[in-house]
Amino acid sequence: MENLAADSQSAAELPALAAELAEIVGADGVVSHLSELAVYECDGWTIAKSAPDLLVLPRTTAHVSGVLAALERRGIAFVPRGAGTGLSGGCLPVNAPVTVCTSRMNHIVACDLANRRVEVESGVVNINVTNAVKAAGYFYAPDPSSQAACTIGGNIAENSGGPHTLKYGVTTNHVLGVELVLAGGEVVELGGPADERLGYDLLGAVVGAEGTAGIVTRATLRILREPQSHRTLLAIFADVERATAAVSAIIAAGIIPGAIEMMDQLIIRAVEAAFKVGFPADAGAVLIVEIDGLEAGLGERAERIARIATEAGAVEVKLARDEGERALLWKARKRAFGAVGRLAPNYATQDGVVPRTRLPDILRVITMLSRHYNLAIGNVFHAGDGNIHPIVLYDERDPDQVRRAIEVGREILKACVEMGGSLTGEHGIGVEKQQEMPLLFAPEDLIVMSELRRVFDPTGHANPNKVIPQPGGCVEVAAPRRQAPL
Amino acid sequence: MTDAHLDKVENAIRGLLDAEHVRRPRGREAPAARIIAEPRDSDQMAALVRQCESERTALAPLGAARTLGEIRRAPAMIGVSLARMDRIVTYEPEDMTVIAEAGMTLGALNRRLAEHGQRLPLDPSNPGATTLGALIGAAQAGPLRLSEGTARDLLIGLRFVGHEGRLVHGGGRVVKNVAGYDLMKVMTGSFGTLGIITEVAFKLRPIPEGYTIGLAPFARASDAFGAALRLYDAIPLVHVEVLSPALAARFGHPDVFLLMAAVAGSAGELEYQRRCFSGLGGAFFLDSVRAVETYEQLRDLEFAPAAIVAQLATAPAELARCVEGMGAEFRAHAASGVAQIFIGGEFDRPAQAVETLARWRGAAHAARGHLRLLAAAPALRSELDFFDQPPPGALKLMRRLKAAFDPAGIFNPGCFVGGI
Repeated sequence: MENLAADSQSAAELPALAAELAEIVGADGVVSHLSELAVYECDGWTIAKSAPDLLVLPRTTAHVSGVLAALERRGIAFVPRGAGTGLSGGCLPVNAPVTVCTSRMNHIVACDLANRRVEVESGVVNINVTNAVKAAGYFYAPDPSSQAACTIGGNIAENSGGPHTLKYGVTTNHVLGVELVLAGGEVVELGGPADERLGYDLLGAVVGAEGTAGIVTRATLRILREPQSHRTLLAIFADVERATAAVSAIIAAGIIPGAIEMMDQLIIRAVEAAFKVGFPADAGAVLIVEIDGLEAGLGERAERIARIATEAGAVEVKLARDEGERALLWKARKRAFGAVGRLAPNYATQDGVVPRTRLPDILRVITMLSRHYNLAIGNVFHAGDGNIHPIVLYDERDPDQVRRAIEVGREILKACVEMGGSLTGEHGIGVEKQQEMPLLFAPEDLIVMSELRRVFDPTGHANPNKVIPQPGGCVEVAAPRRQAPL
Repeated sequence: MTDAHLDKVENAIRGLLDAEHVRRPRGREAPAARIIAEPRDSDQMAALVRQCESERTALAPLGAARTLGEIRRAPAMIGVSLARMDRIVTYEPEDMTVIAEAGMTLGALNRRLAEHGQRLPLDPSNPGATTLGALIGAAQAGPLRLSEGTARDLLIGLRFVGHEGRLVHGGGRVVKNVAGYDLMKVMTGSFGTLGIITEVAFKLRPIPEGYTIGLAPFARASDAFGAALRLYDAIPLVHVEVLSPALAARFGHPDVFLLMAAVAGSAGELEYQRRCFSGLGGAFFLDSVRAVETYEQLRDLEFAPAAIVAQLATAPAELARCVEGMGAEFRAHAASGVAQIFIGGEFDRPAQAVETLARWRGAAHAARGHLRLLAAAPALRSELDFFDQPPPGALKLMRRLKAAFDPAGIFNPGCFVGGI
């Protein structure tokens, strides 16, 4: 793989640049040794790798501003980076020699419980927001499975989701304001503690911009009251068709669960072998349904869900009797990917979306593609949102399997789009899916999106060559997507 | 503006649209635009936009123009009505998503959705006269914002006609989607200044099983707000409003600050939640029919005839102090940090309006919030700034956005923040 990070013009001035940046952030805030830089050569998408020429670790907004001003004077592009848990190559350097990592900006600035707001620096780890307010009975809703490691800044860049987004929404629904440093160093405030926007909703454009708008240094987040109670049900089905029919029926009945997760037979067997949850080995599909809210309504609602699932063909519906049983179900779900690791040397996780009612159709297509490409594919996903995560099993030592695994992934995405869905529900476009963007968007859409991008970054120095396909600017995907916790 | 000039503009666009759908304004359209164009579809709209760009003629979507009609200083040259683009494109009840043309009214949409026990829970006043385009263009919201979110939370896709007549789309029809830049956020609340929205896709919500409103009168505003926030801390209210005496009187409670808090759910949940009101003293509940009627009355409250009506937004716990300091009548979405504030009657001289608004703005800014004018008597409009000024950095980006999306400056110019 060629070195994607450097361009020759800037490489020559690296030592001077490193010295200048060290003046701003301190000597311990600039990393230039190759061995240390290797840690930053990719994120959770490990197909293409490219270490930055320099890594900068600012501690304050002033540092970030100073660094971006220095880079702009030299015409150097940069990549913002949080914890590097992204799954689409969003912080892979592509013609951007400097990576600016916010991990040292990890202070919770203020917990304002009366207003249900928490103000954080962008390097704060997701779970720590909830941890800071949990004792008082509040939580921060977006819960990507990487929440013990991923940062709020990264969540904002990717507009991260998680299992509980069905009821509570994704990151963009919970960010009220940001402090953003533009390429060039200017610091702007967008949004604020109020729940109304003043002027254009630029904040909404920054969330999910995958780091191309600049570097978010602070954020004001909305926190929610912990629900009084919850119920977790396990419904077992003979096949995925009946399980997906149950998903539609539950939601059509006017019930919005906190989460509805589905696993198919391949995943069930892997999970059962690993965790002994008590799934019947011959089950074709299971649903994990969690509802939350007032204790007064949960028993009745759980019974309704059980009845609906049974009518849809569930062989058995079980209610987790205690916190231990509930924890075991979620462990099975959240570690399904690890369990799959026992079945094949390698696996690639895809992220696509279809309208909920098309779940049976997309699963049929996946079964067909699995046969056609002669690769096993498991399914474990956020059924309530129609957000699928097919897991393609392969062996990277066999080049033909690698080729087929890449192709089958693309075919699945194409089918999602044809069914009225999307290329990505929560992993982002990054460099991974740039080439697929034209499946979803017409040239005029992409032109307008580029214009929006340039509003924030006229010189194109903030995380260049991401999201929007550029002729010659894309990373060629040469190996399939790898393990991806959700 | 001479009639001859109007005739010339009118004739130019008559060739692009079906001739009978280019006309002079009627009724409440008059303060919004001089000529009304009713394109049949987005292709006609695109032709209209290209024509306006080449002639540098301003045009404004009429939905937003009607909203702005309350505050705009002069009519736009062309008001684009989407009256002929008012159909549901796709409605999949089991997906709980809908795609509709932007000229459909919220009321008509919700009547259709109710057949399946669903709704688009955005509730500005008068949904029968609010088009989906205006709903998004002006980012309108009502009491339900507390539990259901606002337009930005529910809009999952849209189409609009942009400069050069581009037909642009963002998002899609699935409830979870992070592909590409979020054009929905950019267009929401843009007041027709970036293009004309032609189609919108929403995620929907179920209509709750049971619903009731609890009412409690208070002698002091601060006590009513305090009770509202304590209640919201205990149970997941659907909405909670505090009304000042002039509005409380319309619900039969003169001379008090009236707390109105709604709860929803199954019979068991309603029973539990009603018990949580007991600490308020004097709270009473409406039966389900009266509750829905009262909600609609609350949603549709008119503040006119008022000299000025403004909307204040602060962090929720700051709202009470801020509102009290303003010394005006109000409807407060108490746990959302949003309130509509108004002064009835007339000012003796315009300077009083200017002073009042400046005082309100000062209070809003002191609470780290902002304030925008919703309506002003016509005589006052030239004297007043309708929007707060965003911070300089943000405003610079907003000007760049406007320049990028509307280089010819034809989309509803001069009505938005910073004179955009």
